[in-house]
Amino acid sequence: MALNVLVVDDSAVMRAIVIKTLHLSGVALGQIYEAKDGEEALRVLDENWVDLALIDINMPVLDGMDLIDRVRQNPETSDLSIIVVSTESSETRIENVQRKGVAFVHKPFTPETLRQAILRATGVIDERQDSKSPVSGGGFDF
Amino acid sequence: MNDKIAKALYRAAALTFEELGFMFPSSDLDPLQKYASVDALGCVDFEGPYTGRLVVRMCGGVLPVLAANMMGELEPPEQRLQRDALGEVANIICGNLLPSLAGAKEVFQLKTPRAMAAGEPLFPVPGTKPTAEVQVGLEEGRADLLLFLIDAPQE
Repeated sequence: MALNVLVVDDSAVMRAIVIKTLHLSGVALGQIYEAKDGEEALRVLDENWVDLALIDINMPVLDGMDLIDRVRQNPETSDLSIIVVSTESSETRIENVQRKGVAFVHKPFTPETLRQAILRATGVIDERQDSKSPVSGGGFDF
Repeated sequence: MNDKIAKALYRAAALTFEELGFMFPSSDLDPLQKYASVDALGCVDFEGPYTGRLVVRMCGGVLPVLAANMMGELEPPEQRLQRDALGEVANIICGNLLPSLAGAKEVFQLKTPRAMAAGEPLFPVPGTKPTAEVQVGLEEGRADLLLFLIDAPQE
């Protein structure tokens, strides 16, 4: 199953890094959408079918935590798989994020780290288990 | 200068340049790196158990290479994206550094990273010296990292 993915980060460079890492992760990808803040992300979700959102926390206009709350409150998107991708290192803050039913990936991250987080968050079976892997566990970090 | 903080700052910076920018950081600077001129400055302010600012100063033409590597491009991106890359580097170094100084449970609020204007004071309070300052050799240039902490922990 190819996943339609939304990448939400106010940094264009970080969006590019996340998308590059997604392609290296070996996860089957469909459409990839980008948004530079929470409000833009809500518009994308309103107009498109998205299977997975990768969300930064600190953003202008509508930050990642408020975006997650809005997504969860909307019956149309309440079940969306979400991974927070952040520099946040505080265990307290990470626990707060995870209490919202989302996974967490710390920057910098490897394609394999992202892959495992996606598989856990979406419940998609890792078809690569029985085939040759394009990405090793010791791959580059991003 | 606080040596313990300087070591933690160097570790956070080296990890970030290595893993995000595919560069090989060095603490022993050759003359070319040592005397490289400043190209760009970025900073991130933070509040929490400690309040302060991390300044990242890129020297010797390193920033265009770093930005291209981060984005997976062969050619350097436009200036706007180079500044964006510098901000992200500052943000990630700071995000990794602060819990290592204050403890994993502590919560910090990091402001949006930004480019600094030429001639802008490194820290808003005049006369404030950095709590820790390190230089990281990168290719033919270097990155200077200056950490300003209010109420800095003692050695």
